[in-house]
Parts: sequence; C-alpha cells; structure tokens
Amino acid sequence: MSLSESTRVQAREIISRYPQARSALLPMLHLVQAEEGYVSADGIALCAEELSLTTAEVAAVATFYTMYHRKPAGEYHVGVCINPGCGILGGDAIWEKLSSRLGIGHDEVTPDGKISLERIECQAACTHAPVMTANWEFLDNMTPESAIDVVEKLVSGKEVMSTRGPRIRTFKENELTLAGFDDGLVDEGVQADEQMLAGLKRAKELGQSAPGVKK
Amino acid sequence: MTVTTQTVTVTVDGVVVEVPAGTLIIRVAEMLGTAIPRFCDHPLLDPVAACRMCLVEIEGQGKPQPSCAVTVSDGMVIKTQHTSEMAEKAQAGVMEFLLINHPLDCPICDKGGECPLQNQAMTNGQGETRFEGTKRTFPKPINVSAQVLLDRERCVSCARCTRFADQIAGDPFIELLERGAKQQVGTSEDQPFDSYFSGNTIQICPVGALTSAKYRFRSRPFDLISTPTACEHCASGCALRTDVRRSTVMRRLAWDAPEVNEEWNCDKGRFAFPYTSEGRLTHPLVRDEAGNLGPASWPEALRVAAAGLAGIGKSTAVLTGGRVTVEDAKAYASFAREVLGTNDVDFRARAVSNEETAFLANHVANKPMDVTYGDLEAAKSVLLVSFEPEDESPIVFLRLRKAALSGTTKVFAVAPYTSAGLAKMKGTLLAAGPREEVSVIASAASHLSGDSVILVGERAAQTPGALTAVAELAAKTGAKLAWIPRRAGDRGALDAGLLPIDGRNTSEIVSATGSAVKGLVIGGVSPEDVDGDLLSAIDKAQFVVSLETRHTEITAEADVVLPVAVVTEKAGTFRNWEGRDRSFAAVIPTPGALSDADVLGELARELGKSLSVSDFWASATKPALKADAASTESVGNGQAVLSTWRHLLDKGSLQSGEPYLAATARVAVVRVSPATAQKLNLVDGGTATVSCCGNSASAPLIVTAGMTDDVVWLPANSEGSSLNLPSGCVVEVSQGGN
Repeated sequence: MSLSESTRVQAREIISRYPQARSALLPMLHLVQAEEGYVSADGIALCAEELSLTTAEVAAVATFYTMYHRKPAGEYHVGVCINPGCGILGGDAIWEKLSSRLGIGHDEVTPDGKISLERIECQAACTHAPVMTANWEFLDNMTPESAIDVVEKLVSGKEVMSTRGPRIRTFKENELTLAGFDDGLVDEGVQADEQMLAGLKRAKELGQSAPGVKK
Repeated sequence: MTVTTQTVTVTVDGVVVEVPAGTLIIRVAEMLGTAIPRFCDHPLLDPVAACRMCLVEIEGQGKPQPSCAVTVSDGMVIKTQHTSEMAEKAQAGVMEFLLINHPLDCPICDKGGECPLQNQAMTNGQGETRFEGTKRTFPKPINVSAQVLLDRERCVSCARCTRFADQIAGDPFIELLERGAKQQVGTSEDQPFDSYFSGNTIQICPVGALTSAKYRFRSRPFDLISTPTACEHCASGCALRTDVRRSTVMRRLAWDAPEVNEEWNCDKGRFAFPYTSEGRLTHPLVRDEAGNLGPASWPEALRVAAAGLAGIGKSTAVLTGGRVTVEDAKAYASFAREVLGTNDVDFRARAVSNEETAFLANHVANKPMDVTYGDLEAAKSVLLVSFEPEDESPIVFLRLRKAALSGTTKVFAVAPYTSAGLAKMKGTLLAAGPREEVSVIASAASHLSGDSVILVGERAAQTPGALTAVAELAAKTGAKLAWIPRRAGDRGALDAGLLPIDGRNTSEIVSATGSAVKGLVIGGVSPEDVDGDLLSAIDKAQFVVSLETRHTEITAEADVVLPVAVVTEKAGTFRNWEGRDRSFAAVIPTPGALSDADVLGELARELGKSLSVSDFWASATKPALKADAASTESVGNGQAVLSTWRHLLDKGSLQSGEPYLAATARVAVVRVSPATAQKLNLVDGGTATVSCCGNSASAPLIVTAGMTDDVVWLPANSEGSSLNLPSGCVVEVSQGGN
C-alpha cells in the first residue's frame, strides 16, 4: 500500500503544531502506522522528505522506540505486561495461555492478521496488575480466562470496552489518535477507578497535602 | 584586540591548575599529561559521553562522572584512575562491559596494532573476563557504502562516525539504529553513506568496526612505513600521512594540520592513489623516422628533444597542467622563458580568458597569504562566486560549514541553484546563471563589509566580466578576496609565472599550433580538460615533447616522451589556495625517478643553457584588468545557457584504478527551473539530453525550484555525464535520450 496525498496533508498539519519541525517526527510515525499498520519504507521516506531529514535519521528514531512496528501489526495489538509485579500476579500465566492459544510469540501476528502479541514493559498501572493492553488501551486485573475471552471477542468483531478508557478500536484507528488527531473518545469509559483514587481519598481524610502546594 | 578569558581553579590528582572556564575535565587532564582512557571523545566533535570509558571521581559527587562531557567549575577536585580507586574500578568495569560482545579477532583485524580498544584494554582493563555467555554476532561485514565496510560486532557504539557524518560532513546517512544490546550503526535501505568525507569515519573509529574496501586485510600497522605528505588532488592543501609497505602505497590518512584541514580530508585525497603505480612510463620514448614511438635511453631522448626544440624554441608553447609542484613550476617557467625564449606558457588546462590572466596577475600572483582558513571562520560573511566548495575544494567547504553552523559566518553564493553543499552551509543563494552573474556580483555588495571574504573559483574565467566585477566589489566593500583553483599545482604555478604575460593563453596556443606555434612542451595535461582540440593541435605541431608519469593520449602522439616522477617518488611543495606552502617528502625513494624540474634541467643543459630561479613577477608587466565583452549569442527555442562544474569525484585521470571510490561518486543529473522545464517541455524525473557542438550528455532531469530561468545545469566530465563544455555555452535541451 502506498501512502495517499491526504496522509501528506495530515503530516504537514502535525508539523505545523511544533516550533521545531523535527519535533513532529514521533506523531508522524504514528500517522504512518495509522495508514500502513507499521512504519513502512514509504512512510520513512515521507517523514524524511517532509522534515528535511535523511531516511537514516528517521530510521534511527523508528527503530529505537518499540511502539513503532517494523512489520504490520495485527488489527488488534495485544500487550501482556511481563515485568515482575504483573508477571508474579499472573502476567506470566496470561502470556503462556495467550501465546499457546494463538500459536504466536512475541512480536508475531496470527495468520489472519487479527491479533499480534507483545511482551510489554511496565505500563505504570501496577495497582491493577496483572495488566494487559489492546491497542494500548488498558485491560486491568486480568486472568488467563478473561484474557482469552477478550481476545476471542476482538477476533469475532464484538465490541470490547477498556476497563479504564474507551471502546477498543483497531490498531490503525488508534494510531491516528496517537498521531494527535482527536477521535472524540476522550471522555468515553472509565477515566479513573476506585483503586486509582484510593490514595487520594485517604489523604483527604487525613488532611494531608504535598509540601509546598498551596490549596 | 584583547581577549579576556575567565579562568577557574581546579585540582586534578592533587595538582592545582588554573584553566579557562568551560574546559572539559578530559582536556584539563591532557594539559597535565594525564591520559584518561576514552573512545567516544574527539576534540572536534561535540561531547556525547556514550562509551563511559573516561569516568573519573569528582569530590562531592556520589557517582563517577564522564570527564569528556563535564566542564570544570571553580574549586572542583577531580581524581582520575591514578589517584581514585572509584575511577579505576569504574573504568575497568566499563572496559569489561565493552569487551563482552567484542570479538577477540585482533589478529585478523585491520585495527590491531593501532587500536585504542586494544591498547586501553591493556592499560585500563583486566586480564580476564568474567563473561561466560555467548557473544552477540552479526553477519559481517555490511557495506555502509561501496567503500566503507562495517563489522558490527566490533562496534562499541561510541557514535564517533555518526557524529562526524552529522556534525562535520553534514551527511547524516549513517545512524545508530535499534537500541540496547541490539544497538548498531547502519544506513537506511535506500541511501548508502555516500559522502565525500566518509573515509574520516574509518580513521576516527576507535575500534576495527569501520574499514575501507581499499585497505581491508591489506597490511598490519606495524609493517607500514609512514611519511607525512601533502595532498595532490586539489588546492585545499591537506596534510596527509602516506603508509607504505614493501614500496607500495597501502593507504593514506588525513593528518593533523589545525590551521588547514584540522584532522579531516576528503575521500578523493584518501583513496585516489592507485594512479601512482598504474600504467606508468618506465623509460623515455622517441619517435623514429618511420613514425613509430619506441623506447630510448635518457641521453638519446634528451638529445632528440633538444634537437627538436633547438630551432623552434621561440615558437614553442609550454602547457604544464595543474599538478606541478612549486619546484617544478619554477623549472617550467625558467625553461619556457629563458631556455626556449617563449612567453606562450600557461598552467591552466581548462577554459581561460585574458580577463582572467589580468585578474590573476594583479590580484593573486605572488601575493602574501592574506586570506586563510582562519579568516573564513572569523568572517562575518563569505561570498562564493563561480565556486562550489564541496565539489571544488572540500576542506574549504568543511571550514565554511563549521563557521556557518557556529553562527559567526553567513555564506552567500552566486550560483544557478542551491546546491547540496550550499544547503549544508546554511547558505543563501544569490541566483544567477552565467549571463546574470556579473550583475548579481555587483549587487552583492549589501551582504559584504570589511569583515567579509569573497572566494572566487577558477570557473569565473568562463563568465566575461565576472572577475572584473569581483575585483570592483572587493575594492568597494573592503572585503578580502581570494581565488581558489581546483588543482593543487595552480597557485604555485601562478606564483612561478606560468601565466601568459605577453604571450598566448591555453586556448590561443591550441588554435595557433601549426601556424605561429610550432612546438609544444606538455606536462601533465588531459586533453579533454582543455577548451579547444589539443589532440589535433598536437597533430599539427612540428615537434612535441611530453613530460608524463603515465601512458596517455598525449604521450601516444608526442615526438619525445620523458617519464617523470609521481608525488610518491619525489619531495616537493604544493602551494594551496591560501598561498601556504605544503611540503612533502618522497614516500618511496625510487632510484632513477626524476621530477619535472630534474628533467627540464637536463634538457636545458642539452640545449646549452641552465635553469635560473629568477622571480618572474618582480619584473613582469601586469596587463590592466578589464572586462571581456559579454556573450550576445541569442538563446533560441529549445535552448538554454549551460552552467556546469565537475563533481569532486569525476572522471579525472588521477582517480583511475579505484572502483570502490568511483562507486561512491554522485551520478549526474540535469537541472532546470520549473518555468524553463515548461518552456522546453521537460518532465521532472524523465531523461533530458543536453547537447552542443557535437558534444552531448543525457541524464535524469530534476526540476529545481529557485533556479535561474533559461539555464540548464549538468556536471561536467562526471559519472553519468561526458559533457565537456564551459559554462555560458548556449546548448540544446531536449526530453529523452539514453
């Protein structure tokens, strides 16, 4: 697939948001993934051209960050946190189950292109461990069974809500959001749940506040 | 001007020193003679603290700090590995990490024997590794360009090469890709590291990760005999080091000359040396009565040459080419004027004009060195006229780019379009084709002041009025003026007097040969460089003596061929564009190798005369500078005015025999403005053919915004273009071609 002229127009829109054009590179690479499902050679060339960089400079950035895919991601890119907290609380078991059920490993895609798997690092949601993500939306307090359930729903096209965020859309749709184009879903779903707010609630009960912060 | 430098007092290993504020710790240690081990640190590159080898202890700071990236502050107490256990342990630990994935292939590695990693593993590492796993390996080597090879498993990710490419050359085609344990230097798939300066990355690589296809596995450093030399490829005047093994040049390196090339050189200077040993003339040749050229002894060849020249000395012309040393140039000047008695002498193997002759005589010849590289760096603005530094004097380009990036110098170029080099210097285009140049030069005064420099290239001779306009501009604005020829021998030749004062210039010599000019003495000239048909002139000449290093089209037609030494076989001096003498020693002392000066001396003796060392310019009558008349040739339908110059890596004869270098040359394109493309029915990306007077070339067309209308640009005599016409010609431009 080659990139359309409208992608270029969107890329220029991203560039116009920044005082330094080069700052636009990260969202532009998400834009490329929104179009292509991964960072394609055409996408690298487009970014290089629009930002007056060499393709090597763009490739250096694209290969540094793990959120940029070198080959097409699944329609739903599923992450399982395997860092110690999540891993011990069930993340490792979830990974085993998903990986064997889908028959794919880390950074691999099912033959039908529906699901790709990634062993992800800490998502800063340890209160909800074990944590999974689907196209980077949170799926909290997972079990091997709930993980299989979610993935099966995604494969069969049923709507899945994030446990802390909006309904889960396709990888490409979500990449467009990451590129900085408003999807209108900012207020959809749970924003912050009991577990997240427990500490704040307790601090308020005790009349605590951070030092130096004026009320 | 007094410069006040704020200083701070610091203690290094118990020694108290006062140093300029802002000095890096590693530099302070160097001043004290303390070597802190390092890989990524390079004085001419920005600090990056990538390798972590130079860790030292700073009192009051809990963790060891990279001395290559921390500047001193007043009262700082620094302890290096010599006095701090913490620093010593930190360095040994970093070394152990660096060696975890490093192969122990030193015995077959090009760098072994001159390798900072090998050396510092000995001085600052430990004898044994504790790593018991399997080392990471990569397929090896990969080509980052045709010339530069990368063995990734040897790399310590110091980022010297990538920083050089970005910060110095402005060609960031190599980058650190991936991250963590997978981090590696690489290129993108579609763009190799084709930079004119790529060889420097090999030289500054502190391990054996980058090697050249030319030198890989050819020799060990400890088998080489090294000689400091000067580059013969252009007028930049680089200091080089030439390394020889068993009387064969194995490689050339950029050598230290802070006032000239700093520590860099270009790939032409680094790799284009096979010509010194290929196709060499080994003995004199003399044409017999049957017209056959055959070997002859030196006495016979000199006798025949002298006999041939004796009767026609005053009607003989001398063309010396651009690669003569100062010493050889003086010999040619004396031989022509005093021995032969002719003023028909010209060093310019290219398009020339009498306006240029007057300009050179009045504004350049024998002048003291009043514009230097340092002046370029200090200038507020630099105006380039008929001069594309990246292609025509690459070290000038590097220095101008450095000055421009540091913010002191603004670069302006009178040129038909914004070249890649001009963009890398953040320069401003003063758009002008050959026909607009003179008026644009005159109007450039607003960009110049007494703190400016005007650099004018040898191509200005192709534009009538340009040199006069430049001289007037310098006088009006107070800007300093320097002339930068392409060839290493040109300034020395000019100072020696190889300019046709009261004589015929190169073009006039070519057209008068067979009539007023009867004999020719030709040094290192390639016929295609000359504006005019030199080969048919040779045909018409009564007697031709050729002094050459190799078999050429000219030696094949000459009556007497006298073999002369190449730069590796003789000592000498090139005078660079600044007027700075760049001396070199003989790299391979060769019994029987005679320099041009030696041969001319013998020939003079054979003619019963001797060479003198008189100063030509002391008594020369300089012609007054006045503008030649501008061309009035009309530009018709399907035509445009040609603008052209040579790429740095072109089809020049001194680059022969080095295919890896040739493969990194830029390939020709044709450029026209959008309006001109429309007028001439040319399609962007298609093929365009440029032709004139039986000479034509076809190349892909790039429609170039901001370019002067009614001008077509195409490189001369370069990869993909055999075009050999001067700028200013009216040429036919058409779509298509092969």
